[in-house]
Amino acid sequence: MNNSNEVLVKIEDLKMYFPIYRGVIRRQVGSVRAVDDVSLEVYKGETLGLVGESGCGKTTLGRTVLQLYKPTSGHVYYEDVDLTKLKPEAQRQMRKYMQMIFQDPYASLNPRMSVRDIIGDPMVAFGAASGKQIDDRVRELLQLVRLDPEYANRYPHEFSGGQRQRIGVARALAMNPSFIVCDEPISALDVSIQAQVVNLLEDLQRDLGLTYLFIAHDLSMVRHISDRVAVMYLGVVVELSDRNEIYYNSLHPYTKALLSAIPVPDPAYYETHQRIILEGDVPSPANPPSGCRFRTRCPIAIDECALERPELREVIPGHFVACIRVNPEEVQHKEVIDQESL
Amino acid sequence: MNDKLLEVEGLETQFNTPDGVVHAVNGVSLELHEGETLCLVGESGCGKSVTVLSILKLIQSPPGKIAAGKAFFKGADLLAMGNEEIRQIRGGQISMIFQDPMTSLNPIMTIGKQLEEPMLLHLGISKNEAQERSVKLLESVGIPQAADRLKDYPHQYSGGMRQRVMIAMALSCNPQILIADEPTTALDVTIQAQIVDLVVRLREELGMAIIWITHDLGIAASIANRIAVMYGGFIIEKAPVSELYAHPTHPYTIGLLNSLPQIQARGRKRLYSIEGMPPVLYQMPHSCPFAPRCKWVVEHCWHENPPLDPIGDGHEVACWVDTVTGKER
Repeated sequence: MNNSNEVLVKIEDLKMYFPIYRGVIRRQVGSVRAVDDVSLEVYKGETLGLVGESGCGKTTLGRTVLQLYKPTSGHVYYEDVDLTKLKPEAQRQMRKYMQMIFQDPYASLNPRMSVRDIIGDPMVAFGAASGKQIDDRVRELLQLVRLDPEYANRYPHEFSGGQRQRIGVARALAMNPSFIVCDEPISALDVSIQAQVVNLLEDLQRDLGLTYLFIAHDLSMVRHISDRVAVMYLGVVVELSDRNEIYYNSLHPYTKALLSAIPVPDPAYYETHQRIILEGDVPSPANPPSGCRFRTRCPIAIDECALERPELREVIPGHFVACIRVNPEEVQHKEVIDQESL
Repeated sequence: MNDKLLEVEGLETQFNTPDGVVHAVNGVSLELHEGETLCLVGESGCGKSVTVLSILKLIQSPPGKIAAGKAFFKGADLLAMGNEEIRQIRGGQISMIFQDPMTSLNPIMTIGKQLEEPMLLHLGISKNEAQERSVKLLESVGIPQAADRLKDYPHQYSGGMRQRVMIAMALSCNPQILIADEPTTALDVTIQAQIVDLVVRLREELGMAIIWITHDLGIAASIANRIAVMYGGFIIEKAPVSELYAHPTHPYTIGLLNSLPQIQARGRKRLYSIEGMPPVLYQMPHSCPFAPRCKWVVEHCWHENPPLDPIGDGHEVACWVDTVTGKER
């Protein structure tokens, strides 16, 4: 799907720390490093998947990209505009082009507003339309997300989870954005409804030429919808690659464990595959381990892992990994064997 | 593995709500053999949790009501028992793990106290013995420095650790049946893998039978011996695990399996989606509950709800249409 190499959104050394205050005088005693030095590029028309476990900073990254949080440091460029340098009103104007679909369709729609007001709200906020024009556009948008236009006068409680998520999608599309951050848009939905919403998002991308940053913890769904996938662990990107490459040739031990932990709906799979079970829990992002952040749970960690934070290196063209145990020469060797066996 | 440990017959559970009676479970029959793991699979609102809660009489009444059915555990009907009688079984011979480890532990009681409580009640052992056993239990579910951590409160444990405590508590009285109600849904995938691995190991060591509720067909594939798929308060398909995944027969099961993205697949194809929504259960359906979403639907489906009929190899399905040939059975 991704044919262009044109960068739409560029994230550069982005950091988002949340301060921790303690005591009577509310002194800052530390900070939660939710996003710690992340650089990524999102190409025009592609879907970049962002996966990781809860607390790894993927949602914070998505929100910081849209400037819903003011980043601690770093830059976010939309086309050539540095969003972090804009004044509040100029930043607000940029949101026409960048929208968000939220995780929880039950919490992200105002229960006291009708569907028409919810979907029309962005148009009112930007003064883009009024009265009859909004009505027409709302009907058009409802059709676009495959809901009955007659629903415009109903309220959110009259809809199921899948339908509410469609309303959320329609609202995000109201101002014709080109970039949408999808923050776990399907994780609150039932399995049979998830496929409906994913298919809708894919159709909209094809018809409207949208660019997605798709955040999720479900690696199989992310792989389905994405062109490239970035894996996050404790505030940093540990691996970034093409959707097939990350599955067939994952290099980072965390990605391997994450892939191995996905339950596969096929009993025969469990007779032939040994799962990698990680020990322990994710450490606190307020006090992350030194050096490589994954080393405390890593099955192949060595002493050197504690010394320095591993850099995200390009080991194969387009395949980046942050692990000192990965030897680029061996990697290429393995890839050749892989192709022969096909 | 042939002795029936638990046999549920024609279970019906309803809830009275201001909007009408919700028919949550509409005549569910199932059996559990010794040492077996049965997975109940279905989407939210299909009645899988209500089924197991009804078996242990944990449905709050009112508004809930067990309208019909029997549940035989070693010859005795659990549903006919009085409160005092069933309390002797609950937490003892049949125990349960709940979905959300964050809310199912008491936040103002130490982990140790919560662990000892069922043992003092069911095993009739002394406080010291219970304490010693607690340490062993925590060690067996993989909690380091178990003796020290007994004095901790639930908030000092992470989500995965709390679910381990819940498992230790459920196993403390050597249950014959362990009921697990979506025990890994609230957890991350890597922690989920740890918990599934732990339960499988403990099952081998202790030999209890398990009813595991999940919406995830992947998890079901990894632990079940047999699977029962539920939809709209009915069991619509029941089969041994390898049979179900090799030959899914009910249109809903087929749809569910196809709507999952294939992690092994190389190309990208469009996901199969089941159109429409799960049924609202205000009326007891007289047609097949899945008929409005089914692409195999025939006239008969609208008039009569198909019974669960055996089709060989321990496989039972409730459908008027043979989905292989596309003809009516």
